[in-house]
Amino acid sequence: MRKHILTTIALALGLGLTASAQSFLENSQVNGSFQTDAQYYMRDNGIDINDLYGKKMGINGFGKVNYTNGNFTAGMRFEAFLPEMNGFRQELNGVGLANFFASYDNGFIGMTVGDIYDQFGCGFVFRTYEEWSLGMDNALRGARVVLRPTQGVTLKGVYGRQRFFWYPYLERDMGAEEYRGIVRGVDAEWDLNQSIPAMNDTKFKMSVGGSFVSKKQEDMSLFYYIPENVGAAAGRIRLGYGNWAFSTEYAYKINDPSAINNFIYKEGRAILSSLSYSQKGFGAVLQVKRIDNMSFKSMYTGKQNDLDINFIPPINYTHTHSLPSMYTYSTQPNGEMAAQLQVNYTIPKGTALGGKYGTKLAFNFSQVNDIIRDSVIDHGNMVINKPGTLGYSSPFFGVSDHRFFRDINFEVDKKISQKWHLTAQYINLYYDIETIEGHAGAPVVQANIGFLDVTYKLNRKQSLRLELQGLWEKEVHAGYEYEESEKKDYQKRGDWAFALLEYTITPHWSFSIADKWNYGNPVEEYRDHYFTGTVSYTHEATRIMLTAGRQSEGVVCVGGVCRTVPASSGVMLTVSTAF
Amino acid sequence: MKKLSIIIAAAALMLLVGGCDKIDINNTHKPFEPISGGKTVLIKDFTGVRCVNCPAAADYVHELQHRLGEDRIMVLSVHAGFLAQPVGQFPDFLTEEGTLWYNDNSSNPLFAVDYVSLMDGNTLYVEQIDTPVSEALSEPRLFSIDIWNTYDEDSRRLTVENTFTCEGDSEGKYYATVCLVEDSIVGWQTIPGGVDREYVFRNVFRGTLNGAAGELVSNGSVFFDDSFVVTNSMELDTIYNADQCYILTYIYDYESGKVLQTAMEKIK
Repeated sequence: MRKHILTTIALALGLGLTASAQSFLENSQVNGSFQTDAQYYMRDNGIDINDLYGKKMGINGFGKVNYTNGNFTAGMRFEAFLPEMNGFRQELNGVGLANFFASYDNGFIGMTVGDIYDQFGCGFVFRTYEEWSLGMDNALRGARVVLRPTQGVTLKGVYGRQRFFWYPYLERDMGAEEYRGIVRGVDAEWDLNQSIPAMNDTKFKMSVGGSFVSKKQEDMSLFYYIPENVGAAAGRIRLGYGNWAFSTEYAYKINDPSAINNFIYKEGRAILSSLSYSQKGFGAVLQVKRIDNMSFKSMYTGKQNDLDINFIPPINYTHTHSLPSMYTYSTQPNGEMAAQLQVNYTIPKGTALGGKYGTKLAFNFSQVNDIIRDSVIDHGNMVINKPGTLGYSSPFFGVSDHRFFRDINFEVDKKISQKWHLTAQYINLYYDIETIEGHAGAPVVQANIGFLDVTYKLNRKQSLRLELQGLWEKEVHAGYEYEESEKKDYQKRGDWAFALLEYTITPHWSFSIADKWNYGNPVEEYRDHYFTGTVSYTHEATRIMLTAGRQSEGVVCVGGVCRTVPASSGVMLTVSTAF
Repeated sequence: MKKLSIIIAAAALMLLVGGCDKIDINNTHKPFEPISGGKTVLIKDFTGVRCVNCPAAADYVHELQHRLGEDRIMVLSVHAGFLAQPVGQFPDFLTEEGTLWYNDNSSNPLFAVDYVSLMDGNTLYVEQIDTPVSEALSEPRLFSIDIWNTYDEDSRRLTVENTFTCEGDSEGKYYATVCLVEDSIVGWQTIPGGVDREYVFRNVFRGTLNGAAGELVSNGSVFFDDSFVVTNSMELDTIYNADQCYILTYIYDYESGKVLQTAMEKIK
């Protein structure tokens, strides 16, 4: 009898579990993506690559899988850099599980453990993110709680230690605390339109928010008393009325002496304001930004693009074509005053200039200058930026004459007929290469840049695209006198021409050939051609791309964060898929 | 909800109170605390006469040396890289060995703390050297070095006898490099805002007596109290001021390039 009862219970439990498991699986969703970038390097005396230093190949790859079931989400990312491609940090070399997390969110409370990507406001005091093309990942490994106690109110708390390549996270592991500290932060956001019923359907929109983030890192300096707890706070407001929108965020950071700011004890400040107007066919955005000593890292000795707790948004136009993107601005966390105006206008269809399909016009102006730095008194002496002092004083609205960057561009985008499509852009560029890229003593890049991008549809499936681009420097070009010892600083300088022809058979195939020619380099031996040929095949979410040829030296920038790409020659393969 | 608000407010308050340390601006420098032990540390300062940021970096290193003890911190100013190439009136301190140690880097100033050359893992900016210096000072001393210089004023012949004595048991391939250093040379140096025509160059590396890699001292096991003698000689260039010349000798692990001990002695 007893045996029968046990069997019955076991069967019932088994059936229950099976039904439960079935229901569980039915609610499951799995998605992910994979990508492998591999580059085979070859010697190429023509562009001065005479030695590969034993590295014939670089491979960067990742696989990401996320699982969702109702309120529960979990995911992981596996990475392999064996070895890392040239231009990526050597510390990436390795293979392993780089990222994992589990999260539960029922609308009232959300909790995440593992690697956290998040942002408070515009990122002035906290932003963790991953950018594959930069080889950058500053995820916070720890915990996050999100509370929504009432409609329109969101409270967040985060706590953890940032990813630093493959270095260990735990203090009991050798060196974990030596390389970076702990980050903890809170953020609150209140959307008044959601909270107050009377404001639900009004034209007036308003939300306010505030954040506080603190890092704790051990003081290991032999010279200076380093604050072990460094806090930063920010407040923000967003207002909207009809077609108008205004937002601003102000951030303050307490004394944070670090390698980036030359160990000065000045507080940091930042403000970003944005005013925009939009209506059908017209949009304009005006932005201003001031940054003063706002590098905020979880390792005070760090100087490179790693372990950043915060993010300083760039307010510059993002160019995507080859020559215009050669000189992309990299944000200067120690100080900058920036402004940007972007205007978009579409000339309506059916007008003389608009034609049958309308004509899109875009104008952008952005400029970045240094802030003013006045000396401060240290033991009776006037000093500027001396370690162990307040460093400097700076009037909040003062703008230095030292210009870092200016970009004035105008773009026309026009569909001429069913078969023809044209995009043309003119750019006037000023780029202080000494400050932005660290080429000491190198003359400023002042250039006129233009491109024409024409697409012609041969039939419903096939099209041809031609890009013609030119970059003409005002001062540095063939014949410019340079010092022999500074030759290396001129590797990508002077005038350039670029042409690309692409043949596409939708939806699968694309073939292109391109040449980038530094014909006006002041150094004769640098007047090189960079030929490339590319074939790509796309099938649904899978893409295979093979590129052979030369790659010129340059920078890759995403969101004002840049990495240098050395010149190379060889074959590159990219395989990516998603599900 | 009220309880929840109180908990959240309390957590935020705790973070605000505990999350900031304000340092008194009149008291930002730490007092010098001597570090016990006999290990010396070699800082190779890769610098250049036309490098605008190098004088400040050299000052930093010499302040470090002053604070931690000149008998414990040895500085070797190695002029290398394109900013060290002489143009016009700028002095020429380039050396073949220095260029080799520089390892084709592209900027100055750079530092190697207790390493032979600028290789992966030990190329440092000046602000990053505190911790490696502190760590290196705390390491046990494996060798002691005794330098005996004999200098003949007439012939300008210098003979250097280095004795390396083991202070523990170990195994490895140990090399020693014997360097000539000249101190307090006056000449042109780029500084912020222009050129200092009477800049005083400290601890300038003039070359080695036995090559960039030095020479083999021992290969295999070494035991406490073992001693090895290496003798070298050279003729001092007439432009060198013998009164300001030193011999700096270091012994290092050949496989890792890690410097184990350094010593310095005036030639006169």
